[in-house]
Amino acid sequence: MSAIMERFTGSGRFSLPVSLKTREAIAAYTFLAPFLIFFAIFFVRATIASVEMSFYDWRLLRPTRPYIGLQNYLELFDDPIWWSSVVHTLYFTAMTVVGTSVVGLAAALAVTRPIHGRGFFRVLLYIPQLMSVGAVGLIWNWLWSGQFGVINYLLSFFGVRPINWLGEPDLVLPVLSFTTIWWTFGFPMLIYIAGIQGIPEHLYEAARIDGASGWQSFRYITLPLLRPTILFVTVTGVIGHFQVFGQPYIITGGGGPGRSSWTVIIYLYQQAWVAFRMGFGAAVAVVIAIIMAIITTFQFKIISRPVEY
Amino acid sequence: MSIAQLRHSTFFRYFGVYVFLLVLSAFVLFPLVIAVSQSFMTNQEVNRWPPRVIPVEPTIESYRLVLTQQDVRLDLWLRNSVVAATGYTIAVLLICSPAAYAFARLNFPGNKPLFAFLLATIMIPGQVTLIPNYLLMRDLKWLDTFNALIFPGAANVFGVFLLRQFFMQVPRELEEAAVLDGAGYFGRFWHVILPLSTNALTALGIFVFLGHFNDLFWPIIVTSSLQTRTLPVGLSIIQSSYAGQYRPMILAGAVLSTLPVLIVYSIFQRRIIQGVTLTGMGGR
Repeated sequence: MSAIMERFTGSGRFSLPVSLKTREAIAAYTFLAPFLIFFAIFFVRATIASVEMSFYDWRLLRPTRPYIGLQNYLELFDDPIWWSSVVHTLYFTAMTVVGTSVVGLAAALAVTRPIHGRGFFRVLLYIPQLMSVGAVGLIWNWLWSGQFGVINYLLSFFGVRPINWLGEPDLVLPVLSFTTIWWTFGFPMLIYIAGIQGIPEHLYEAARIDGASGWQSFRYITLPLLRPTILFVTVTGVIGHFQVFGQPYIITGGGGPGRSSWTVIIYLYQQAWVAFRMGFGAAVAVVIAIIMAIITTFQFKIISRPVEY
Repeated sequence: MSIAQLRHSTFFRYFGVYVFLLVLSAFVLFPLVIAVSQSFMTNQEVNRWPPRVIPVEPTIESYRLVLTQQDVRLDLWLRNSVVAATGYTIAVLLICSPAAYAFARLNFPGNKPLFAFLLATIMIPGQVTLIPNYLLMRDLKWLDTFNALIFPGAANVFGVFLLRQFFMQVPRELEEAAVLDGAGYFGRFWHVILPLSTNALTALGIFVFLGHFNDLFWPIIVTSSLQTRTLPVGLSIIQSSYAGQYRPMILAGAVLSTLPVLIVYSIFQRRIIQGVTLTGMGGR
């Protein structure tokens, strides 16, 4: 015991307080080393390289890589296909984030009522979220089929004539959004459940005593107290859905009809891995990153505002 | 039961809630039921109007076809996905947990600024690293190997952030007791912190695994041969090459590829459901 005391008080043979501090720092950086090495190679280096590459006309199949300054960016900003891809992505993201948030919140409100089987419904409603976009794409591509699709069959009972869902440029983004809402509303649902369960029960009791209706307690208790949760769901939803790739890649055959479901990531994929324009692709990636950083910063600004009641 | 009692029973009170949940469940299950049911049909039975929901003469022909095509290797792709996602999950846990321990418990110059820097990089989306990392994989001759699927994303900032939060909640007294027993930094991390954080490690592991298992973009660009494809990439290939030929085969592929996930889910459902709110991750 006294030996240990000595080590801590520094009355031993070495001047321990200083070396203990150093030893802790050495230990800390040993623990950090694997992470920092991987992070430096695959994130820091790659991010810097991407910015650098964006100033070169770097094509995979050509030996020379001339420096061209801002040419890649100018070409990108001049490309109507790029701008339409941006518009498609924003349109898709807006519809999908609102859709998943609303369906997720409604589902969360329902399964937090004191009813039998609520645990069962939670598990059941989360199933689509666990599927791969591959399986989701294969199934929904067939459901939306204009010729023999079951969705057209269901609608025919309401007198709707068959619609060529995946062949209509104006319909294809809502169709992909609807599919994505089916696939991903489970995550917001579970986050909302946690948020709802965090609201103190006595607030509702007080409201009931004051004669508040169900709608009033929802409007004046649940909704305001869920604001941080709603914002979390919105931020993660925007980041996630802005990167949409698999749904157009599989369901509309890579962004069809024509280019009407090209998203920014499909555009990036086309430039870098179909046309093999690595320098131009790097410029696309940098611009996508900047757009997402702006959207995220904007949302964090809203989040960090104090909650008002 | 009198009318008054009926009115006060939960079923009557929450009748609307039940109706809503049943409609929502039907919405969720409908595509899956159609996929399973029509996968037992022949191509002729699927390509008809009005569509049939129940097969008149159920057949497993589509399953036989999807399992015997030369260029469709569901078993191999499933194995690849499991191996790559397992390797990736182990790599993330091995790399992130010591880093998280250092940030949570050790005093060293640069702790706060380094952590703040890592948090700030969350703002920079991963797309910006895709092309340089792809070229690095090519230069390392890692294209079309599991290395390309496992290592580039292993330094997961979010994992460090999450584990740090949990490690900070472990009472310091437990670590101090270990110090008195002569444990060094590694001993405290390995014998005190990690065993007390199995919930967090499992939850992070499950979601890192699922996210990798379901990923499509990176596997598409770094794998090219039939032998190294992952399941989602393989499915996208079946879609593009067989959709016009034999539709029930596609549905059989979707069903077969979803089954393992559903089996795992039915075993770990409680952990998965709880893990979502614990980690803020959704499985993709």
